[in-house]
Amino acid sequence: MKVSSLSFSKWLDQRLNHGDRVWNVLMLTLSLVVPVLIILIGWQLWIDSSGAREKFGWAFLLPTADAAWNPVFGKFQAWPFIYGTLITSAVAIIIAVPVSLGIAIFLAELCPAWLREPLSWMLELLAAIPSVVYGLWGIFVFLPFVVKPFGDFLTALLGPIPVLGLFFEGPLPASGASRLAASMILAIMIIPTIAAVTRDVFLAIPQAQREASFAIGSTQWEMIWQVLIPYGLSGILGAVILGLGRALGETMAVTMVIGNSIAGSVSLLSPGYTMSSIIANEFAEAVDQLHSESLIEVGLILFVLTLLLNSLARFLVWQVARRGTEQDARS
Amino acid sequence: MKRQFTIFSLLMIIAVIASACATPTPQTVEVTKIVAGTPEKVVITATPEVKPTTLPAGSVKINGSGATFPLPVYTDWTYAFSYVDPSVAINYQGIGSGGGKKAIVDGTVDFAGSDSLVTDAEYTQGKDLQMYPMVAGAVVAIYNVEGITTPITLDRDTLVGIYSAKITTWNDPAIVALNPDLKDKLPNKTITVVHRSDGSGTTEIFTKALASFSEDWKKNVGAGSAVEWPVDKAKNGVGGKGNQGVTAAVLSTPNSIGYVELSFALANGTPTAQMVNKAKKTVKPNAESVQAAMADFANGFDAKLTATIVDAPGEKSWPITGYTYLVLHQTSMTDCVKAKKLLEYINWTLSDTSAAKRAGELGYSVLPSDVKAKVTAKLGEVTCGGKPVMIK
Repeated sequence: MKVSSLSFSKWLDQRLNHGDRVWNVLMLTLSLVVPVLIILIGWQLWIDSSGAREKFGWAFLLPTADAAWNPVFGKFQAWPFIYGTLITSAVAIIIAVPVSLGIAIFLAELCPAWLREPLSWMLELLAAIPSVVYGLWGIFVFLPFVVKPFGDFLTALLGPIPVLGLFFEGPLPASGASRLAASMILAIMIIPTIAAVTRDVFLAIPQAQREASFAIGSTQWEMIWQVLIPYGLSGILGAVILGLGRALGETMAVTMVIGNSIAGSVSLLSPGYTMSSIIANEFAEAVDQLHSESLIEVGLILFVLTLLLNSLARFLVWQVARRGTEQDARS
Repeated sequence: MKRQFTIFSLLMIIAVIASACATPTPQTVEVTKIVAGTPEKVVITATPEVKPTTLPAGSVKINGSGATFPLPVYTDWTYAFSYVDPSVAINYQGIGSGGGKKAIVDGTVDFAGSDSLVTDAEYTQGKDLQMYPMVAGAVVAIYNVEGITTPITLDRDTLVGIYSAKITTWNDPAIVALNPDLKDKLPNKTITVVHRSDGSGTTEIFTKALASFSEDWKKNVGAGSAVEWPVDKAKNGVGGKGNQGVTAAVLSTPNSIGYVELSFALANGTPTAQMVNKAKKTVKPNAESVQAAMADFANGFDAKLTATIVDAPGEKSWPITGYTYLVLHQTSMTDCVKAKKLLEYINWTLSDTSAAKRAGELGYSVLPSDVKAKVTAKLGEVTCGGKPVMIK
């Protein structure tokens, strides 16, 4: 009896590669948690929004100049929120990328050693501020003292230009609450993420690259622009994706400064609405079935949009990285 | 190394502060409340018992959730009631009327708070749901107009006009006619109209009133916890999140108007507009004018004990008011001890003078006696296991 149980355990041990197989299966299960979770969330959103999808079809998300969002009469169109999310995130990225790049270059290349540590620390601290605090600060300080004058200046400068002027059509509301305000707050919120990751990318570039560049006579400026940035491009793009992800989903701060109004204007200077803020605003009191289903469908759109934009960005990173290795192979 | 030490000492300081804050609650029944900036002592008329730090054996936990509109008064009442009956712990979460009603239908809470009426579908699903009015609140117009310090008077038509973007400047003849002494002061400036961006009972009461004031509003906009604002289409509307958001937007925007709960306006000291009511009399928003409105509709209750009390006809009545309700299962509560304690609590809030005083200080109006009698009678119909819960 004892012999047989011993031989069984030996057999089991061999069969399972001394536990390696168990370990593998365990790790596989854990790594499957994330994709399964994503699929389940998507599935749930899809099921729960069925009524709204059947009733409104594609008209729900197609661009319209005069979109309706009327809980009383049960008419829902999501375009103003889709537009709001896209434009605020895009403008936030446009503002944040150059600033972050500047910060990263300074921290990695130009900063004296004694200043690097405190500056980096403060940068990371900026990322730790809760978004509701940004929102409050936005309402009471940033909007009246920065966004309002800057927005009025933009209207005066760019408003008269045809086509482009549409995006800067004034006047900015007296409170400053507008898509521009949301974009600028978002930019401040994503700068630490983008800058910190980009700085790490620069710091990871081998010293030999810099020395080689100097050896053939480049200035520091040329070294940074012609060697460091192309070398780290895929990493920088990755940092921008991280920032974009936060900008797309940010709810609290945006809700507090965007003005929450479904105005039929494309202007950055008029109040707007984003997908995450309409859900946060109305879901708790959405008593009507169609209303809550429409909000869930907005959630579904945000979910799909985030996945699509992230995939696109991953693809870009992959393209850049591949081109880099091809060049390396050729040279 | 040095940095680690700094972080460590910071954490220590936080820990010390946190433990200092966590000292047991004062063991008296005198409670200092700050209302509109002035601290005031409120004495609870109950047997002064020391509130235990841990719940005694056999104590009951009662859970409720729902509307945020009555959250301040419910929180205050449950705090005070923990001195009256230390064996009851009531927990109310302000998650919104919609969420509260869903929770009571699903049976995940013992009671729900709601500003909106339970729908027919919810009555069918929830079987024996019953609504009980608890307190009434008023919604007031707050404003920020350059150079104006005395109260502005509005009437039903001008308020509708402003919110439908038909009246767009402060010196509009309709506003000037109501405020002859401010004739030269009302500026020729565009009115920025602030509304709630989040769905809320406040918006529901406000839009119900506007729908009652104007047929056009009723037809084109309607009433609900969230509506499509005509001022947004006209591009002079701004949404603020919560009462705080609306107040902040009004205070930071010159020449703006917004609407908030009376309790919130009182606590912040924001200027509130007077209204000319249905009886063509000018009234101020306060507990008396809200109670007058309740009294006007004292016989307007339906079988589920709900009534709409906007646009009251009385001379002293504030026109923008609404009840907030508790929702209970009338016959299917299974834990009879819990049911008894819950009804005792509700009864206390309705009958105790200190409970009424607390509600009044927070800007809510308690029920007039004839309405109160109706609610108490209805509470008497609550049964558990086939037997009435309240024994007279």
